[in-house]
Amino acid sequence: MLSAWNNIKLRNAMLQIIYVGGFVAVIATLIVMGRTNLQAQGIISGFDFLWKSTGWDVNFSLIDFSARDPYWLVLVVGILNTLFLGTIGLVLATVIGVIIGMARTTENDLARLLGAIYVEVFRNIPLIVQVFFWYAIVTRFPGPRQAINLADSFFLSSRGLYGPGLNITGLSAFLGIVAFLAGLGVIIWISAAQRFRRMDPARKTRLRWLILLGAFIVSLVIFWIGRIPDTSLVSMPALKGLNFRGGIRISTELSAMAISIAIYGGAYIAEIVRGGFNSVGRGQIEAAKSVGLTKWQVFSRVRFPLALRAMLPILTNQYVWLIKATTMGIAIGFADFFMVVSTAINQSGQTLELLGILMGGFLVINFSLAAILNRINRAIALKGNQLRS
Amino acid sequence: MTKTAEPAITIRSMNKFYGSFHALKNIDLTVQHGERIVICGPSGSGKSTLIRCINHLEAHQSGNITVLGKALDNNILHIDEIRRDVGMVFQHFNLFPHMTVLENCVLAPMLVRKWPRAKAEELAMQYLEKVKIPEQAEKFPGQLSGGQQQRVAIARSLSMQPKVLLFDEPTSALDPEMISEVLDVMVALAKDGMTMLCVTHEMGFARQVADRVIFMDQGEIIEQNPPEEFFGNPQNERTQKFLSQILGH
Repeated sequence: MLSAWNNIKLRNAMLQIIYVGGFVAVIATLIVMGRTNLQAQGIISGFDFLWKSTGWDVNFSLIDFSARDPYWLVLVVGILNTLFLGTIGLVLATVIGVIIGMARTTENDLARLLGAIYVEVFRNIPLIVQVFFWYAIVTRFPGPRQAINLADSFFLSSRGLYGPGLNITGLSAFLGIVAFLAGLGVIIWISAAQRFRRMDPARKTRLRWLILLGAFIVSLVIFWIGRIPDTSLVSMPALKGLNFRGGIRISTELSAMAISIAIYGGAYIAEIVRGGFNSVGRGQIEAAKSVGLTKWQVFSRVRFPLALRAMLPILTNQYVWLIKATTMGIAIGFADFFMVVSTAINQSGQTLELLGILMGGFLVINFSLAAILNRINRAIALKGNQLRS
Repeated sequence: MTKTAEPAITIRSMNKFYGSFHALKNIDLTVQHGERIVICGPSGSGKSTLIRCINHLEAHQSGNITVLGKALDNNILHIDEIRRDVGMVFQHFNLFPHMTVLENCVLAPMLVRKWPRAKAEELAMQYLEKVKIPEQAEKFPGQLSGGQQQRVAIARSLSMQPKVLLFDEPTSALDPEMISEVLDVMVALAKDGMTMLCVTHEMGFARQVADRVIFMDQGEIIEQNPPEEFFGNPQNERTQKFLSQILGH
């Protein structure tokens, strides 16, 4: 026995067995205890409740949903809302972040000052406070009858923003936009990836335009398939009685969340963008100037590609963070994944199952996002050991 | 390259300040086509600043600089035109790390000269052969040694077919055994008649190829002479001191 304990291989194997065995025992005990306790309270654990109808409605849904629909569908509604808000929020935050971040790297003192003020203000106020602030602002607009009218097509009111829309289902609108964004992603990939670097530039340009056209057509087809029968394709909002009918409505909850995430996330992304540009060596810029490139060519061929490589790993982190920040929607009643799950827990009592689904859902969303961005990161990574010669 | 009457570079009473620091004082310099000039001097003497003013990586505050018949003035177009025809080789190579060696060389010819890729690549390969590195064309800068990177940097400059080449301490960042491979390339360029201005401490190179050696100290040109005269019979006390320090060991 003593000799077996002193044999390093045998000892490690025994320790592994004890460790794994103990871990399994703890988990098994927890599951058994949990089931016993739930049964004592009269709650049957399991996922059968997913097929029962909810009996309650949600205030914002991209797909048709009513109180008669089952629990699994309300979870889908929540996931779609989270993805919808996440997509809008991330895109807007990136646009704001790039503008502010670039402003902070220019020679212009005023632009740098404004950028610094923006970042310091919005980075240092807690996100939940900003959510309440923007929600207070968007719900303080005049009522539908006195709505602010922009060119008879957009109406800003306390019920939300109304604008011209397509008479299509929310799901097809979402899928169409995703298809178009995917097309843009492929175009960026072709521009940056090693695999296509030897391609003839004229063919590459043609290919990019072709993909853009293709993505546009595919999203139009998706819109067309999802159109609501017996209606005109374009619908304009119009005041009927006390409220607007037709068009699309961006609810106050959604717009407050999108604005908050865009502005708060933009402040962080601005710092990432600034850091990325500052990390580009002065030498590379001077070399690009010295071979006669114009200002724009120096930026687009040398400065930006190198800055992007420095930014991407940190941006991935920030995007994953911002997706999780959509759960703040519960504070103002935006029916995101978290709020839908919370309500479902209250109504059904299936706490553990629903929390498992919630955690699994966010894990899948964020893991996929990070996997895609890491893949891009690897595709454009600098070759060789000396990153900056 | 034929020697024409008009000089390649003319600098007249040029002054350069960094804030209140007077970096270059009343510089006068004329460089003829095909001339090889070596600029030396202690660190901080303004040698690098001087050649960086020639392609406007640094702006001068007073005086005139005319390069290849174009004045460096408020006309922004002149800066681009001059940079097109004046190549520069840097101490730290400054290759574009996200592009292959060949892409480094064809980037500017394709964007600035608007040559088709086939023509730009053919020329670039010729110059990569000239710097004896054609087999590395598809590699990335990070995968090459310092000496190889500097030779690629020279090929990148040559791919624009410049009329003047500026060298800013091209061997100072290299390991001793790599210095000669870069100097060999520079000697070959000098033999081909390229107009060259080299800031360097390689006095062997200066003796071998320079038409003129310029000594700078504290922002001034102290002395300029052909190498035999410069090394054999230095006039100024500061030149003598510098030479005894640099050649003394």
